[in-house]
Amino acid sequence: MKNSTMKRSRFINLGRMKKSASLAPIAASLLLVGCGEEKEVANIYTTLDDCISDNPNAVSQCTTAYESALEEAKRTGPKFASMRDCEYDFGANQCQRVQSGSSSFFMPFMAGYMLSSLMSPNYYSQPLFTSYSRYSPYRYNWMGADGRYYGDLRYKRVKVSKSAFKPKPAVVRTMKRGGFGSTAKAKSSWGSSRSGWGG
Amino acid sequence: MFRQTIRPRSDWKEKANDYGFHFHTMYGEAYWDESAFYQFTLPQIEDHIEAPTEEIHQMCLHVVDKVVADDELLKKFCIPEHAWDTILNSWRQKDPSLYSRLDLAYDGKSPAKLLENNADTPTSLYETGFWQWLWLEDCVNSGSISRHADQFNSLQEKLIQRFHNIGEHYGINNLHFACCKDTIEDRGTVQYLQDCAREAGLSNTFVFVEDIGLSQEGFFSDQYDRPINTLFKLYPWEFMFEESFGAHIESSETHWLEPPWKAIISNKAILAELWRSFPNHPNLLPAWFESDTPLDGVDHVVKKPLFSREGANISIHNKGELTSHADGPYGAEGYILQGYSPLPVLSGNHTVIGSWLVNDQAAGLSIREDSSPITQDMSRYLPHIII
Repeated sequence: MKNSTMKRSRFINLGRMKKSASLAPIAASLLLVGCGEEKEVANIYTTLDDCISDNPNAVSQCTTAYESALEEAKRTGPKFASMRDCEYDFGANQCQRVQSGSSSFFMPFMAGYMLSSLMSPNYYSQPLFTSYSRYSPYRYNWMGADGRYYGDLRYKRVKVSKSAFKPKPAVVRTMKRGGFGSTAKAKSSWGSSRSGWGG
Repeated sequence: MFRQTIRPRSDWKEKANDYGFHFHTMYGEAYWDESAFYQFTLPQIEDHIEAPTEEIHQMCLHVVDKVVADDELLKKFCIPEHAWDTILNSWRQKDPSLYSRLDLAYDGKSPAKLLENNADTPTSLYETGFWQWLWLEDCVNSGSISRHADQFNSLQEKLIQRFHNIGEHYGINNLHFACCKDTIEDRGTVQYLQDCAREAGLSNTFVFVEDIGLSQEGFFSDQYDRPINTLFKLYPWEFMFEESFGAHIESSETHWLEPPWKAIISNKAILAELWRSFPNHPNLLPAWFESDTPLDGVDHVVKKPLFSREGANISIHNKGELTSHADGPYGAEGYILQGYSPLPVLSGNHTVIGSWLVNDQAAGLSIREDSSPITQDMSRYLPHIII
């Protein structure tokens, strides 16, 4: 016989297992910037003017950085099927409808953008989001498009690893859908009492 | 091993609603049944369930190692040829697995016998890892069950740890989860796994299997046109291999949960190969391919399609005569025959034990009861305790 004390899970956070009336929206989780990587200091700006007033001689760089962050936000930011799900994670009036091709979805507004040193010829920017929702672990904190956590909303300078500026995987061009699921469809017409495909 | 009746918690339906357990009653019949529970001793759990479960898993891995590199066996397992490399590569790369459920015939005394291994898309996970855990917690707190009672169920704890390990293995902080549309039970199972992944620090996105796209670059994509890097799919490999995106599985560079090599273990043909590799093992039933030794004249056997879910198309035969069968849409791919091992009958119910694994560790137990000797999709789920 194995030496043991307790055969069941010691602790389950019941508060986190509760569900609202609908299925929980996309869950965001806190991801701390990894240790041991090379760090650099980045500035966080909330508007274009913010950046320009800090770097009066770099109007064009600020503009480019701001615009590319906006674009990147749309490309890689969190997306939801409904306004309600988005607001659950990001708070009331924090979300917008975004049209992409024939489909539309809901995304939080870009709350700020993070800029590497403008002195460097290869400066980078990344969009940041924040949440005002009491259901979100990111409430009043900066969050990257991939869910990385960048600290309190009041901080305007953060130390980040170089990888923070690596471009995120691009959105792809979907050519075709529906290539999976046909067997389930065919077999469910057989009329089993339950339609699940687990077992 | 006893079956004891108990008064259900007065507020369990409200709780089910609070926690999002929406499939406790299906098609007007109870699925979750807390009017009784099963009671085991610690040695029964540790010696008869836990240890054999881990041993059976190791035996299955041994067979996978043999099958992945053997064209003849792959054919016998009815794995389409275009999937062979995918399976072999995922095995050679040691792609991590998440979980499995062994179905066992066990009466509390004789060695548990492996009926089948649900290694690809096991369900009743939420009921096991969370809901029956909560049931015991509530019963102990209300005094209806002794404070000394325990449960064989570290499933949730182990799943969270496993997601953490898988996240590190692939260097990812986000993954996709998928199941088919219109399956409230499958969606609930997947939501539970999403919750566990979240607890492990992995953000996640849900996509329906039917909405998965194929991109110009050859990647699979979600409904927002984002590439799918890692996908948990509650959808069987044998279906995916045959469907129109099946040809793109290898080139899509997706990390899969379960990994493709699990297609060997979830295939009922493994029962025949297990018996051949480990003949007379106390936890195995004799099993063979119908194509090798047909049914005629054999004593009590169970005939199972290589690919089948929820008991469908399974039949029981005695000396060539059909004694019991369940209909279903499977069987075209061939059958295995397995020695008949009757399920224990407690208070008129046929009881089957589900023994869970997270990766290679035994992680918990679930009980299903059915009025028929073939447990099917409408069998009831009952909680258990150790005392």
